[in-house]
Amino acid sequence: MTARRLTAFIDALVAGRRPDPYQADPDDVEVLRAAIALRAARPGDATPDDEFVAGLYESLAEESSPSVASNVRPLRMRRTRAAIIGVAASIALVGATVGTTEALSNGATTSSAIQAPHGKILRTASFETAQGHALGQIVVYGGTPGWVFMNVDVPTAASTVKCELRMMDGSVVAAGTVDLHHGTGVLSKKIRVDTSRLQGATLYGPSGSVVASATFS
Amino acid sequence: MFPAPKATARRSRSDSDRTDIARLRVVDADSYTDWESVYRDNVARLYRLMYARVGNRPDAEDLTSEVFRTALGPLRLASSKGEVRSYLLVTAQTVLASHWRRTLGVSVTSIDPESDLDALTESSGPEDVGDAPQRAGKILAALPERYRRILELRFLEACSIKEAAHTMAISVNNAKVLQHRALRMAAKVGLELEL
Repeated sequence: MTARRLTAFIDALVAGRRPDPYQADPDDVEVLRAAIALRAARPGDATPDDEFVAGLYESLAEESSPSVASNVRPLRMRRTRAAIIGVAASIALVGATVGTTEALSNGATTSSAIQAPHGKILRTASFETAQGHALGQIVVYGGTPGWVFMNVDVPTAASTVKCELRMMDGSVVAAGTVDLHHGTGVLSKKIRVDTSRLQGATLYGPSGSVVASATFS
Repeated sequence: MFPAPKATARRSRSDSDRTDIARLRVVDADSYTDWESVYRDNVARLYRLMYARVGNRPDAEDLTSEVFRTALGPLRLASSKGEVRSYLLVTAQTVLASHWRRTLGVSVTSIDPESDLDALTESSGPEDVGDAPQRAGKILAALPERYRRILELRFLEACSIKEAAHTMAISVNNAKVLQHRALRMAAKVGLELEL
């Protein structure tokens, strides 16, 4: 029984979920410690979400003095809304491109029109550096299948950046790798996640360092 | 609950400079002026320390929140930055110990306010990922190839057990057994290397 609970605990760690409590055997301790040490080395989660930092700040400010709450501004809430609107406006075109790209990459022999996504199932966000510089946009479409589109402009000599999607339960899903040409690149890909549960996305450089992150509104 | 940022009172110069001078407090360059600066300066580093101790984001966020909620009340801003960080670490030590008692009944990881002080100092940048990659690298380097590979796939590359099994061209059951044995050996290595 304990072995099964230990396995479940480790599976949750690997998936980025909060592990369920259980009465651990003292023999489990070293294994759990090793699992935590390995999991803590995965790029991405070691940096706090902007949303968490801003949310805790607001909550602490409210607890300290209700009168202060109205003056509290989230630490970082800047959005390049115009750019997002531009990306969202090109959705129909992109949707068709994605449909075609996916069909080609999957070796499909027939092509079918992809329905342009509706506003309610589109979610958008801007990629920003820790210093607040906008580096691109991401749009997800929550259809069947869902898909993700992003464009980035990264001041780096690297030829690729990797993108991971963060779910609200803390788990992480790989979105893919963006090939860069002179720092710019786009990625469009089919995704199999519940896009309504998406919290944000993070771009990583080849060394695993965080390049920029985005939080869906 | 704790010293909140106060609105600056508008007063005319006729209130006399003497009154103003009497209200001024000498602010040491090495101290915090308000709770907000304590929070902004330490939240990312404290989160990262907690994340390295629990290995998952939801728990790391909850524990970081608990540390600030507990510590900011009795906090004395007249203390130096070093003293404030030590106080945050002592609080974090208690919060983490209580977390393990509550969830597993045994202490799995801990925080030492002295040896972990570097994690909260300026030398550790907010974007710094800490020493976790080095620690994991040492453990993995000491493992046989197949053990290392299954742990890399699962813990570093976020593969499901099915994906890891597929990549290694083994069955899912074999992948589970391999992971179990690899973790046991990793635990032994961690103990030997005192990581």
